[in-house]
Amino acid sequence: MKKQKGKPAVASGDLSRRVKRAMPYYIFLLPAAILVFLFSYMPLGGIVIAFKDYKMARGIGGSDWIGFANFQKMFSDYNFWRVLKNTVKISVLTLLTSFPVTIIFTLLVNELMNLRFKKTVQTITYMPHFLSWVVVGTFVYQILSPVNGVVNLLLVKLGILDQSVYFMMQSDMFVPVYLVTNLWKGTGYSIVIYLATISGIDTQLYEACAIDGGNRFHKVLYITLPAMLPTMCTMLILSVGNLITVGFDPIFNLYSDATYQTADVISTYVYRKGLVESKFSFSAAMGLFQNVVSLGLVMIANWFARKANPEYKII
Amino acid sequence: MAVSKMKQHRTKMKVSTASKVFDFCNILFMVLFCITILFPFWDMIVRSFSRPQDISYIDLNLWPKVWSIDAYSYCLKDNAIVQAFFVSVARTVVGTFLHVIICCMAAYSLIHSEIPFRGPIMAFFVIPMFISGGMIPAYLNMKNLNLLNNFWVYVLPTAFSVFDCIIIRNYFFSIDKGMEEAASIDGANAFHIFFRIILPVSKPVLATVSLWQMVGQWNAWFDNMVYCRSNANLTTLQYTLRRMLDSITEKMNTQVGVAEAMGELVELNSDTVKAATTIIVTLPIILVYPFLQKYFVQGIMVGAVKG
Repeated sequence: MKKQKGKPAVASGDLSRRVKRAMPYYIFLLPAAILVFLFSYMPLGGIVIAFKDYKMARGIGGSDWIGFANFQKMFSDYNFWRVLKNTVKISVLTLLTSFPVTIIFTLLVNELMNLRFKKTVQTITYMPHFLSWVVVGTFVYQILSPVNGVVNLLLVKLGILDQSVYFMMQSDMFVPVYLVTNLWKGTGYSIVIYLATISGIDTQLYEACAIDGGNRFHKVLYITLPAMLPTMCTMLILSVGNLITVGFDPIFNLYSDATYQTADVISTYVYRKGLVESKFSFSAAMGLFQNVVSLGLVMIANWFARKANPEYKII
Repeated sequence: MAVSKMKQHRTKMKVSTASKVFDFCNILFMVLFCITILFPFWDMIVRSFSRPQDISYIDLNLWPKVWSIDAYSYCLKDNAIVQAFFVSVARTVVGTFLHVIICCMAAYSLIHSEIPFRGPIMAFFVIPMFISGGMIPAYLNMKNLNLLNNFWVYVLPTAFSVFDCIIIRNYFFSIDKGMEEAASIDGANAFHIFFRIILPVSKPVLATVSLWQMVGQWNAWFDNMVYCRSNANLTTLQYTLRRMLDSITEKMNTQVGVAEAMGELVELNSDTVKAATTIIVTLPIILVYPFLQKYFVQGIMVGAVKG
């Protein structure tokens, strides 16, 4: 079968025969293709409303073209600059906290000698990954509650605070709360990914290192860390692509009117403007802006990664 | 060999006072790490089994003062919560079944390199991984398709995922080609081969993908909030919990509200009910967790190989 592919010219009769023979396989593909068309390609047509004055009654086709007016409005919107700043700030800080913490924790878990204990630690710590952000949000509100939350209890008992503070209502506390929550939920999962890489390391390398007089620290520095490097690069590049994207779920389940100043990001602003206030065109323009910039960032990061290592690629 | 290993071991032991101290600190640190992860769960469990008056003031509750199942019986009597539970179960069962079968069918087709136009077909599936319309076009699209306030909006958009399809395809590739050829010589058609031969030997990957999808379906709430907000019959358990969260933040938004809420929570049992709901929402995840754990790492490895 494969040989035919290499032939310079395939007669049309031959092709139709092959199509006919492959018919069952096309039928198998059909449901998936229909779903992708309906839910991935059809919405792409809706992007045009970013360049229109969309009125629900007139539909997408019937609304007037207004060029880049929505984008002009967006760039002159005070809130837009605020959410853009918050988005970049939160994603950079997330990267700066989760990345080192994950690496350090992975190395520490890897150093655990008792295998059963190591397994238990992993089992416990990646459990939060499977919880929804709604549940995690409920946990956070509970732990930080001014009425009966544990954090306030400890801070008051230790004399750090005079009285309970409602952390979730203070705009300057949002980012720290968000970062810690993010670490709580995601660290265990990332550890598992990195440990999978580490488990692929040839144990002979460690033996050779020991024979050369290397201690545990040397092993980590010269064997484990270099072996983690490719995975680290992949993670880093993926996060560069996400610099302008902060997930909707975590912010939405932790923020409130009181913390918009520091917590509101592009995705949540798009949601409120578009789906709550029904300013569809304006928020579609903002969403498009975000998508285009983040696609550009992924491509740039990918280009750099390939430049550094030709075998490396994500796209 | 054994002797030399023992010697090595002994010298290691001798050198490593610093190493021992490190090990001790490391274990201590890991125990603290685990406690940090587990504490919110335990806190919630204690609250859900407490009486409202016992948790209404600031105190460390590591154990309920008096065990009470009032909050749970309240939840079970609340029709809205019970119905939300069944909606969540329904979307999880239907959504997972559709997802697995559709992804497997597509994956089975894509292992046949001889089918014409395979390249363009792959491109058609992969392009949406990089380009998407965003929240607003997606919403308008659902409206166009008449899927707003419709149960199918929970299960259809998630019924196919390229990523899962590629993972399944990679597994199918590892199945011995000879089995398929033998069956086809015996006169079995593609449908027979798929259902009788390919699927039965692919249980590990089927388990992996179904567990992922089950967790995803059970945890989904955004589609409920955006697409099915005005149909109370389609409210899922996650969204029920989300709305409880809303009511707290609304109350806390005004200064008066904060003061009020601080006093009010004493008489309301909303705190214990919320805790009980959280536990009910989390319980299914905890129950499938042992299985998740078994297949989860496997799945990551497959994904890594693919990358």
